[in-house]
Amino acid sequence: MLKVLIPTIMLFPTIWLASPKWLWTTTTAHSLLIASISLMWLKWTSEAGWTSSNMYLATDPLSTPLLVLTCWLLPLMILASQNHISPEPISRQRSYITLLASLQTFLIMAFGATEIIMFYIMFEATLIPTLIIITRWGNQTERLNAGTYFLFYTLAGSLPLLVALLLLQQSTGTLSMLVLQYSQPLQLNSWGHMIWWAGCLIAFLVKMPLYGVHLWLPKAHVEAPVAGSMVLAAVLLKLGGYGMMRMMVMLDPLSKELAYPFIILALWGIIMTGLICLRQTDLKSLIAYSSVSHMGLVTGGIVIQTPWGFSGAIILMIAHGLVSSALFCLANTAYERTHSRTMM
Amino acid sequence: MANYKEAPLATRPKTLDPAEYFNLSHDYRRAEEKRASLRAQLKRQYLEQLNNPHRKELIEDPALTRWTYARTNNNYFRPTAKTSLIGGLFGVLPLFILYVVFKTDRDKREAKIKAGTYERPYKLST
Repeated sequence: MLKVLIPTIMLFPTIWLASPKWLWTTTTAHSLLIASISLMWLKWTSEAGWTSSNMYLATDPLSTPLLVLTCWLLPLMILASQNHISPEPISRQRSYITLLASLQTFLIMAFGATEIIMFYIMFEATLIPTLIIITRWGNQTERLNAGTYFLFYTLAGSLPLLVALLLLQQSTGTLSMLVLQYSQPLQLNSWGHMIWWAGCLIAFLVKMPLYGVHLWLPKAHVEAPVAGSMVLAAVLLKLGGYGMMRMMVMLDPLSKELAYPFIILALWGIIMTGLICLRQTDLKSLIAYSSVSHMGLVTGGIVIQTPWGFSGAIILMIAHGLVSSALFCLANTAYERTHSRTMM
Repeated sequence: MANYKEAPLATRPKTLDPAEYFNLSHDYRRAEEKRASLRAQLKRQYLEQLNNPHRKELIEDPALTRWTYARTNNNYFRPTAKTSLIGGLFGVLPLFILYVVFKTDRDKREAKIKAGTYERPYKLST
């Protein structure tokens, strides 16, 4: 794990000390190197699940594909943004790549976290660079509105999660995923427990997004520059899915009944957002709504808690991460050449 | 006027109808000429841009810009009885219908599993 994390942190000096002529080449090469090193995680050495490197960061077959996806995305983002950032002054270009690299660092620490609190802190920390990317480098004036929606939807969803995690720590004494997977199923039989159950999941459902609370996604995706859209679509949505998968382990007996609203919202959301896609004129908006649709299917797969559902959810998350960010990249190439996102 | 026979699917245009052609007032003809000259100016502007060898960018169509602006910035939604009905019918009612459908189906399957009569359709090994 540190073999990848230290080079990622070393990306910051690379960005700020490279000469302006070689900035993009060196950062792309450095991030490609990190991406190649990250492939070593795919070797599943321990049958017991967690292939850990230290007490705080570990990988297991759930987080490894997402980690590799995150690491591979950074060179692609840098490649895609090279054209539209090049007119700006050098220090602003360096700041842009710094924000992308900081997102990368937070995401690696989030997916590799073994303590749920660390995952939560990194989950929140990824909001800030994304917000700065959307509001500072977006193209239209609506980007301020989009940043506000993005920030406040996610924050409002994740505050109950903080309370829920503190309650969990209070009752079980630990928040380490390594320990919690072996804990006894909790007695969950009162209204308070139901609210706790909902609090654990709402943050991730808003991030996924689930159909009812998906309003931030089209705005954020349309107004973000290409690298922001790529990282949002490819990895940040998967943070929600990954978090849900981790939390479902301990939420068990209550989930049989309480999961119904979310299954239904997810499935109906697939159909409704698919239909909304048909009526879009803006290309990025269409890709954004299709992201909501795919993530609805992932939500449905996770919430029904079957092994097949989980596997399907992971595969769909990886596939969607690659395809959706590639789609945003293509939409950006069209936008660079025609300065219009209309599909006519 | 030439003897123009109408084709079965193409009607005679208004300007070629001999009954109309000589009945047009001077004002109408002048207005028609003005419209034709405007159309010709627009067409000339477009063709100049199209055949300009130094042009590197797209030719912008202001009508398209106006159309996309109108499509995306429609803040004309008002909650009336009709819109509320449509919203409720497509947005709220399906959720309850789906809840009933899913719950009964899964409870039936659960009952069958508990009774031991459920035959698994696939042989899954986890």
